[in-house]
Amino acid sequence: MNPLLAQFLAEANDLLASVDDGLLQLERNPGDPELVNEVFRAAHTFKGSSGLFDFPELTRLTHAAEDLLDAVRGGRLALDSGMADDLLAAFDLIRGWLAHVTAHERLPATAGQDAAGLITKLRAPLGGETVATDQGQEPSAVRRIDPPPEWLAPLGTEWLIETAAWLSTTASTLRFVRYLPDQDCFFRAEDPLHLVRQVPGLDRMTVIRPEQWPPREEYDEYACLLSFVVATRASTGELEYLFRYVPDQISIVELDGAAINRHLEGEEAEDLETVPAAAPDALHVDARLAADARAVLTAAHRTLAVGEPTGTQLLALIGSVTSAALALGVPLDLTGADREAVNAAVEGVLGRAPIEPAATPPAVDHPVLAALAAPPAATPAGAPADLPAARADDPGGQVGTRVLKVDQEKVDRLMELVGELNVAKNGLTFLAAAAEEEFGSRALSRRIKDQYSGMHRIAEELQAAVMDVRMLPLSVAFGRFPRLVRDLSRRLGKTIELVTEGDDTMADKDVIEALGDPLVHLVRNSLDHGIETSDERIAAGKPGTARLTLAAVADGDAVLVEVSDDGRGVDPMRVKRKAYEKGLISEEELESLSDTEAVDLVFRAGFSTADQISDLSGRGVGMDAVRASVEKLGGTVTMRSELGSGTVTRLRLPLSMAVTQVMVVSVAGQRFGVPVDLVVETVRVPAAEMGRVLHQDVVVMRGEVVPVIDLARALQMPWAPDDSRDRAVLIVSVNGQRVGLLVEQFHREVDVILKPMEGLLAYADEFSGTALLGDGLVLLVLNLKEVLGLAARAA
Amino acid sequence: MPLELHDENASLIGVVTVDEVEQLVGWLRSSQRPRVSLRRCNHLHTGALQALLLFRPKISAAPKDAFLAAQVLPLLTGAGGDTSRQGNEPP
Repeated sequence: MNPLLAQFLAEANDLLASVDDGLLQLERNPGDPELVNEVFRAAHTFKGSSGLFDFPELTRLTHAAEDLLDAVRGGRLALDSGMADDLLAAFDLIRGWLAHVTAHERLPATAGQDAAGLITKLRAPLGGETVATDQGQEPSAVRRIDPPPEWLAPLGTEWLIETAAWLSTTASTLRFVRYLPDQDCFFRAEDPLHLVRQVPGLDRMTVIRPEQWPPREEYDEYACLLSFVVATRASTGELEYLFRYVPDQISIVELDGAAINRHLEGEEAEDLETVPAAAPDALHVDARLAADARAVLTAAHRTLAVGEPTGTQLLALIGSVTSAALALGVPLDLTGADREAVNAAVEGVLGRAPIEPAATPPAVDHPVLAALAAPPAATPAGAPADLPAARADDPGGQVGTRVLKVDQEKVDRLMELVGELNVAKNGLTFLAAAAEEEFGSRALSRRIKDQYSGMHRIAEELQAAVMDVRMLPLSVAFGRFPRLVRDLSRRLGKTIELVTEGDDTMADKDVIEALGDPLVHLVRNSLDHGIETSDERIAAGKPGTARLTLAAVADGDAVLVEVSDDGRGVDPMRVKRKAYEKGLISEEELESLSDTEAVDLVFRAGFSTADQISDLSGRGVGMDAVRASVEKLGGTVTMRSELGSGTVTRLRLPLSMAVTQVMVVSVAGQRFGVPVDLVVETVRVPAAEMGRVLHQDVVVMRGEVVPVIDLARALQMPWAPDDSRDRAVLIVSVNGQRVGLLVEQFHREVDVILKPMEGLLAYADEFSGTALLGDGLVLLVLNLKEVLGLAARAA
Repeated sequence: MPLELHDENASLIGVVTVDEVEQLVGWLRSSQRPRVSLRRCNHLHTGALQALLLFRPKISAAPKDAFLAAQVLPLLTGAGGDTSRQGNEPP
């Protein structure tokens, strides 16, 4: 289903509930202007939203309700219980329609007819005048009936007969349009079929082919040879507006049943005996007879829907259907018809026969049914289920899927509680250790551990469930880009096609929210620096339209978001030179940096290659801000670029930021947390194997020299390693480099809820936050990048 | 791309505009027994419809689009424009 429609349905449910509620209160408390306003607003919103979809009946009905409510609001009318009834009935009807829309994505076939009566009722207190669009409700006296044109024939005789009978029965009219597009209309960017499909309330469209197709070899695909005949419920005014650019190519007529019959008479004499005789009759069919006939047909339809009657069974069924149809004034000839044809005929008659919902007896009561009715199964299409007589005790179907709107804060609170539960749960492991060590009961310790594992599982599931609630699709973050790209590309004079992939990838709402700004930076950078103008692109042998892709894909517990363009790419030489000019790199680096490393320079603070500062980007605050904000989320940014063929920037973000896994280590008796994502491995190195290169301790692992930083010294804590013991080294990967951290002891991994540093500690950049451990201790979680910086300064 | 053309199979995807008509006709001319899938097609330009009516390829998959499925598909699959919609519920 169209997401817009799904959203409309979800909102409609709330609006309907508030209208119902408001109307009921209003009845008790008629003078309350606030209540009237509320109901009016709901109806108004409803009408506004319904206009987005092709539901003209819905719009018209809500419009009528809105007018009435407006009059009440303006004090011109006093709401009485009759009006309230009508309003409630209108909204009940709408609820029924929307249930149908939820299932079939269109209004029930009887919508226009059901609405007509209500609209008249709703407008009655206003003086009964109808707006111009309500063509269908106008009294027939003022209706202008055109003589039937000869071009009706292509619509099909059978269809015309049926339609004529239907129009006569309901005393209504249809508009018919013939559209003869010019042969060279394609050159004027006209698409006749597109115009036709925009015709509101389109009932039937038929395409008239040329009498003689040209030979295939000489066929000119740019000459329009087709013409159209269309039957529609749209008003003449609507049609004239729609075809306002081709007024000379169309003719519109308004016809009723009799006019169509006159057309048929002129053309096909043999059809005359049945149709004109039967059609007027339909109006005078005895109500009870009609009700009985409908019951027979309904039952027949049901039989056909659930079973496969054959032979005599089918013959008997055809017999009863034919006589029932005749009773309703619709003659049928079903001799030798098969199951499908009978079914179709039954549906046709059921749809067309005068509807007398009140008089229709319950289907199973009729004697004929005992033979016909199969076990009650699927409700036949177009059967009384769709009828408008909605009552208060009628469940009325389900509008939209059930969506619970929950305040974001409540979900956050729930998440916080899950976190606290995790912390409390972690306390059990300490208790187990205490039971063993302090109280010497190993059995108790084991039982506590059993309990812990049970709780752990439940807590994990609870956490996953809450996380799931917080998940949003990436389309939320991508949503603003089509507009942004369109506006910017227009301003820059570049042609850019934006492609988004993986919109439905889910990530935590905090991640989605935090992703917005970095993405805008990246997209702007691409538009401004990466993508060339069309002329440059064509000169470089590339298609004139540039392509900017936003793609998201889930990768384990992370989400990868890529912004890629097929622009000019990053020139590593130019980047190095610029960086050198700005003093960001030394002369040696200028010589020695590889291309990949050079591309990475764009993330350095203060870097900008644009020679000219535009209002989009180029002030040198872009990319380093991107990297900083992504890293704050616990993610990484990398950029790959090929000169001349484009740039790909990849953001890797955790799916959720609410719970962080940290590895606990201690140094100088104090415990610290290190995010597990960064940890590569833990090793114990004999003191003798620690080497020293220049002023830096190193350890050689699998042939690789890894620098080792003394965490105690970096944090200025008094501690010296015990020479008799192996050194505990935590190998972490920061910015793609491996670094060893010399620590005193390794502890466990724990899930913690990271709280940012605040107040007096806010300046301490070396910590990314604090967390409460199960034993009540506060754990400081290290921000390794800053710690490495500190160590470099201390050395 | 709105057109995916293979030897005897083609898929029309999204909105087929007048720009694609020439290519489509070229393919229909050259193909022996063309089969066309309209499943993912949202709209056909009149020119494309006209070409399909002239060359009458086999329609291998019905369009999901409601208008195309209800109004256009019968023209392409039926014997002619005269196919009656007998039995349809009243609109």
